[in-house]
Amino acid sequence: MQTRRISILLLALFFSAPAWGQALRYAEDKAPGIVNPVYTTSMSEARLNELLFEGLYIDNTELMSVPALAETAQLSDDKTEMTIRLRYDARWHDGVPFTSADVAFTIEAMKNKKSLSTERGRVAWIKKVEVLDDTAIKLYFENPEARPQDKLMFKILPKHRFTGVDMKRTDAFRTEPIGTGPYKLVRYNDDNSIALEANPDYRETVKLSEMVMREVSDKNYQAKLLHYESLEALVRVLPRDLASLQNNRKVELYPYQTNSWWYLGFNLGKKPFDDPRFRQAIGLLIDQEALMAPIGTGDLLSGPYVKSSPYYNHDVPAWRPDEFAASGKLEELGYERQGELWTKGGIPLELTITAHQSLESSQEVVINLQSQLQAAGIKVNVEFLDEASWKARVWRERNFDIILSQWTFDRNEDIRDQFHGKGSRNFTGYSSSRVDALLDRARESTDPHVKKAALREVHAAIHEDAPMIFLWTLDSYAALSTRVRNVVVHPFYFFTYVLDWRMD
Amino acid sequence: MRLLKSLGRVGLSFFLTLAGAVLFVQLLLWAAPGDPIDLVPNGVEFRAELEAEWDLDRPLPARFAAYLGRAFQGDLGTSLTYRPGSSVSELAWPAALRSARILVPALVLTLSVALIMAWFSGRRGGPAVRLTQAVSIAPVFLLAFLSVTFLNESTFSLIESGAIERPFWFALPDTDSWVRSLLAILVLAVGSGALSEVTAACTDELNHLRNAPFIEAAVARGARVGPHLVWNLIPAVASVFSNRAAFFVGGLVIIEKVLQLNGAGAMLWQACLMRDYPLAMGLTVMAAGAVCLARLISDVVRVAVDPRLREAA
Repeated sequence: MQTRRISILLLALFFSAPAWGQALRYAEDKAPGIVNPVYTTSMSEARLNELLFEGLYIDNTELMSVPALAETAQLSDDKTEMTIRLRYDARWHDGVPFTSADVAFTIEAMKNKKSLSTERGRVAWIKKVEVLDDTAIKLYFENPEARPQDKLMFKILPKHRFTGVDMKRTDAFRTEPIGTGPYKLVRYNDDNSIALEANPDYRETVKLSEMVMREVSDKNYQAKLLHYESLEALVRVLPRDLASLQNNRKVELYPYQTNSWWYLGFNLGKKPFDDPRFRQAIGLLIDQEALMAPIGTGDLLSGPYVKSSPYYNHDVPAWRPDEFAASGKLEELGYERQGELWTKGGIPLELTITAHQSLESSQEVVINLQSQLQAAGIKVNVEFLDEASWKARVWRERNFDIILSQWTFDRNEDIRDQFHGKGSRNFTGYSSSRVDALLDRARESTDPHVKKAALREVHAAIHEDAPMIFLWTLDSYAALSTRVRNVVVHPFYFFTYVLDWRMD
Repeated sequence: MRLLKSLGRVGLSFFLTLAGAVLFVQLLLWAAPGDPIDLVPNGVEFRAELEAEWDLDRPLPARFAAYLGRAFQGDLGTSLTYRPGSSVSELAWPAALRSARILVPALVLTLSVALIMAWFSGRRGGPAVRLTQAVSIAPVFLLAFLSVTFLNESTFSLIESGAIERPFWFALPDTDSWVRSLLAILVLAVGSGALSEVTAACTDELNHLRNAPFIEAAVARGARVGPHLVWNLIPAVASVFSNRAAFFVGGLVIIEKVLQLNGAGAMLWQACLMRDYPLAMGLTVMAAGAVCLARLISDVVRVAVDPRLREAA
């Protein structure tokens, strides 16, 4: 009898059920290492920054810039200066009023070389900032800007929490971040989760009182946790989890379009990839639709923009498999078919495809790509690298043949760093004076039609030169519990419209 | 004087083990492609400055010597990429304590269960021992994955059918859960041959003792042999304890990743991926220290129990 009572008690203890709170819990692969918008290194940090901090401008649901910490703005006739009147009612989480000094401080800190800011590029176009009074600043630009508000979304930091513009990663701010945003950071937990609470002094009503970021490194487990109702939101659903989540009546899927595209990048510093005919031959040997099909749905691309972009050149078709044309190009380069393999001077044509380990579905794509190219007579090796190895081999050492990767852009879709001869992310080594001139024209022009025309020409030129074979953009889905209402997600920052969200 | 010499030898062995472990990890990280600067988005632009700031511009032997010097003063450095600016001690000690709460009970559980099975099965091949071998042969990662999946799926089915309410420990609870810790302890204690090998070792030692002349003499006199067997088993158990400690420390890394426990093992994994040299080496120092401590405890126990070893020492 005694044993039975103890057993029942133990079972009751084991299965006892506290209800979960009203916090919205979302998952990230990796917890933010540093909470300081000036040193953002990952999308998980960018999403957290979206909750804690604000910029001068913000996207509305039509993805048009609207004032956030700015109130009104006046652009000079020559478009090289902008006077911005700031909100007078914004306060930092510690109650100190937000002023123009904070804006000036942030811009100067980001521009300061000693700060080693990862976001320095976001303010490179600003020549000078002048404080007019507590609620007004004047910005001076390096070049005329048609729509400077589109670039004024970087987050503003509190001047009073730093000793000067020589900011450091190790500043105490990283663990005690203070913003003007709708949420305040409450605590870091032992399990790497971060608890946030609504900012009671925020100028609008924050309907979700609490949010919790959970670190779940296994993406498969993230979807499981949504099924188990241990999470309320997944930022991005893996294609293989879509079917099961679609069938779950307690989960709602939200499609969104990112400015994100997959590509094969060639090392133009290495033979035979330095010859555009070879690169075009590879493009003609690949069946992009067959590569994309197992990993999801989306659009095949022919250039460095997504199809919905105003800069996408719809007159340029994507590469289609054409083995005859590919063979012609290889033969022009001195290759000949010996048996099943292409050879040159008796040496079989062999290349290595390198992919990033953590790129979702990259393994399936690379293996299928390997099969396609091997069927076409090319020996293909594959390798997968972790983040540090990837950055070292591809970005620093340029030690690769072909890479499979993905670029993601914010709404500005600035591809200059990737394709300009002086671009800091031009790891393919691509150089075209024509493309450089077009990119420069697009940057300097204040006429949106001129910019659109220039970038469409860039699209066509890059497609032809083929430093990259542009593959596709995939349809993206977020998944949220049906308990979360009024959800609209921002394609890049996810939480931009969180003020409208509420939970039953 | 002899005691001082012994202590000196122990101290030197401890130091050499730690230094060796740190050197090994530092060489592995140095050999791995990429460094922490590669993980900074515009690291290419600031490489020279970051190398100076992070002390990466010095040759490896100089860095190693400087690290050891600081480590022995209690300064394990500052995290570079995992939590930039945070002291390694502040990050690693709480994680190590969380791991210790899994490691020590797992070791104790393995030894206890192994001893009980060895005592009562008497010879190899009893049904309990065979069952243990069958389960214990499973690798730790597989055992962890299967057990957590089975537990979550079966519990979720019960919740969905309305048979039970949602338990507090279910599927990544908001607070630490003893159930998840217990699962980790059980998997670590049993998996990758831990329980079966320790049981086999204990069984062998017990059989050896049961056939020893002094036990036969005790049986012939009609004396109780239990206390003699237990006392003489202690040195062997102590040896097993110290041998298994290193394996258990390694198994922790897997279990903490699978069960989403933020202990020292999971942190070490992340630190290596992120090329956070100070954090990886700090955690290595702690792991090596734990293994050395286990060895020291084992040596002390063996010397305390066995008079022959005392005389030799």
